[in-house]
Amino acid sequence: MRHSYDVLIIGGGVAGASVARELARYDVSVALLERNRGLGMEMTSTNMTLVCQGGDALTFRPGTLHAELNVKSIPLWPGFAEELGVPFKRIGGLGLIRDKADYKRFLKMYSRAFKSSLKPDAPYYIPEGSFKPLEFLDKRRLRDLEPEINPSIQGALYDPNLAVTDPAELTRALAENARANGVDFFLGYEVKQVEKTPEGFRLEAGGEVFETRYVVNAAGIEADRVAELVPGARDFSYVPVKGVLVDLDEEASTVLRHHVYLLQRPLEPHVKAAVPLLDGRLRLGIYLEYTYRSDREAGREAVDHDLRVIEEIAPGRDYRRHISRVIVGVMPLTNAETGWHDFIVDIPDHVPGWVNIVLGPAGVSAAPMLGRRVAELLAYSGLSLEPRRGFNPRARRGVEA
Amino acid sequence: MGRRIPGRLTLALARSIVDAMIRFAQDNMLAPGSYAVADEGGYPLAFERRDGAPPATSDIALEKAWTAATMKASGRLLEVITRGQGWRLNVKYGGRLTVIPGTIPIIAGGKVIGGIGHSGESAENDLRIAQAGLAALYREDPPKPERLDPTLSLARRVAEQLIEAGKPVAVAVVDEWGWPIVMYRADNAAPGLVEIARSKAWTAAAFRTPSEEASKYCRSSAGEARECECTRGLNERYLPLPGGIPFTTAEDTTLAVGVAGLTPEEDKALALKALSSLGLKPLT
Repeated sequence: MRHSYDVLIIGGGVAGASVARELARYDVSVALLERNRGLGMEMTSTNMTLVCQGGDALTFRPGTLHAELNVKSIPLWPGFAEELGVPFKRIGGLGLIRDKADYKRFLKMYSRAFKSSLKPDAPYYIPEGSFKPLEFLDKRRLRDLEPEINPSIQGALYDPNLAVTDPAELTRALAENARANGVDFFLGYEVKQVEKTPEGFRLEAGGEVFETRYVVNAAGIEADRVAELVPGARDFSYVPVKGVLVDLDEEASTVLRHHVYLLQRPLEPHVKAAVPLLDGRLRLGIYLEYTYRSDREAGREAVDHDLRVIEEIAPGRDYRRHISRVIVGVMPLTNAETGWHDFIVDIPDHVPGWVNIVLGPAGVSAAPMLGRRVAELLAYSGLSLEPRRGFNPRARRGVEA
Repeated sequence: MGRRIPGRLTLALARSIVDAMIRFAQDNMLAPGSYAVADEGGYPLAFERRDGAPPATSDIALEKAWTAATMKASGRLLEVITRGQGWRLNVKYGGRLTVIPGTIPIIAGGKVIGGIGHSGESAENDLRIAQAGLAALYREDPPKPERLDPTLSLARRVAEQLIEAGKPVAVAVVDEWGWPIVMYRADNAAPGLVEIARSKAWTAAAFRTPSEEASKYCRSSAGEARECECTRGLNERYLPLPGGIPFTTAEDTTLAVGVAGLTPEEDKALALKALSSLGLKPLT
């Protein structure tokens, strides 16, 4: 069977679904190919579920796409979640201060964020009203918010804006809305071959042929292999980083109500954070390891690390007895040699009509801006984007069988 | 249990890193350059220079790899932590510290196990190419070049032939001017041998004679060989020991090979055997 579209999206995670939904606003024919039988089954469902809303954005390096897409997404999130009917809960974030070194680093991050996004003339200004100011809390106020916190903690940087969502549910909502507005979905279609044609590309997936003018490569951890199918389309590199997360059962999860984290220190390669999920469980992490993308093993060392995190944040309970599940995810990390991760959302120098997306950490948070950025890139490449008449931002039509 | 990232570099891994860098440069139409992978101590394991790459990029790539492996950090990070004064570190270690992008550490198991250096493009592209090398270590199917430049391809065959003999040797193949094209070090060879192999190959190429015969230019009237200004003082790579052989290719290009690791006579015999098995003619 042969299919023909203006745009083909490869990958049905949060990135591909965001692009599909954004393009559904325009009068173009779009299809999404996903190798799994369901959507959002990989990176999208193995992360901390956070929606960075300011406080976390402090850690983004100014001038990166990682910072730009996340910060610009901040004011869009409440409306985005409401329109799609997905949960968006502001749980608030607490960056714990153990000593003066932590305090100095938080101060530095805060002033950097202020320059890049909070001042009215900043490059990514966050409009007033969409962002509550961050606050430094002393020990007493911290204990009011989190009574079980380790008494040796001196204080915290409090971000009342931080939110959590359900990334898998968000992906489904985006896809269902896209489908209701005319986007086709092909699940269980793995792209095997891509050929450059004078008009665009010819793809082979699921034993069928797809012809298209534009390709959006949103294949997640497989983005490099997909791009390698076309010479010159892989103009980026990344290292897969495996993250091991531990969820506590509901009984032990009452210990914290906010996202609580500790800053990383030299010789501490792993992230130390705890997030109360929407389902009432507390997610701990993140034991990180650079590895092969096929490695989904959660070693004892990893689980022990995650448990030590909660023991350091809120000691006094036997958490090991309360492990409800262990989750392993693999994300692409660009600039792995320095740890200065950045997103890739770009057209390669020598392959017009092809857009690569590599998100990784904080990718879910960037969803509202991601679709817009890709639509912009396609428009620059000559795709005419006329608004589709009758676009319904709330309509839903099932995608998965 | 699944496969784990190796905790120590081997020649095979170093070569797969070089392969991936070459493929990345070719796919993205980047200029040919020099590709180097050093072990944990900074000693080269694999080095290749593509046809058309400026000769002097070779030492820049090698020293970038050395810097990443021994400073355990990338050039970009060093630029930032020295507040842009990283170039001043270059006075150390005889000018070897190279704080320029395209210098990246090879990280495995939370540890730096080597370094990658690329030179020949813009700083930004040197970095991208080196990153493609690091990414290859984390691939079960690392990308390989689909085609190779003719001279590099020939130099590779010579070096492979010598390594496959299984002896604890280092091998260098240089162009007619003595600039390296390929250098490999067998996994069982001592780290310092690469420099000896390179010097023998250089001596053979620069004097157009088997390396040990280069001393004939420095004989006194009584016939004894001695070191003199024209060799050691002006040519730091002069090494008149057996093991360096100039040879010509079917296209009449002159190259030279240098071998080190056994006794000098055995090195020479190994080099001659490899050349003859490939049908290449030694210059005598």
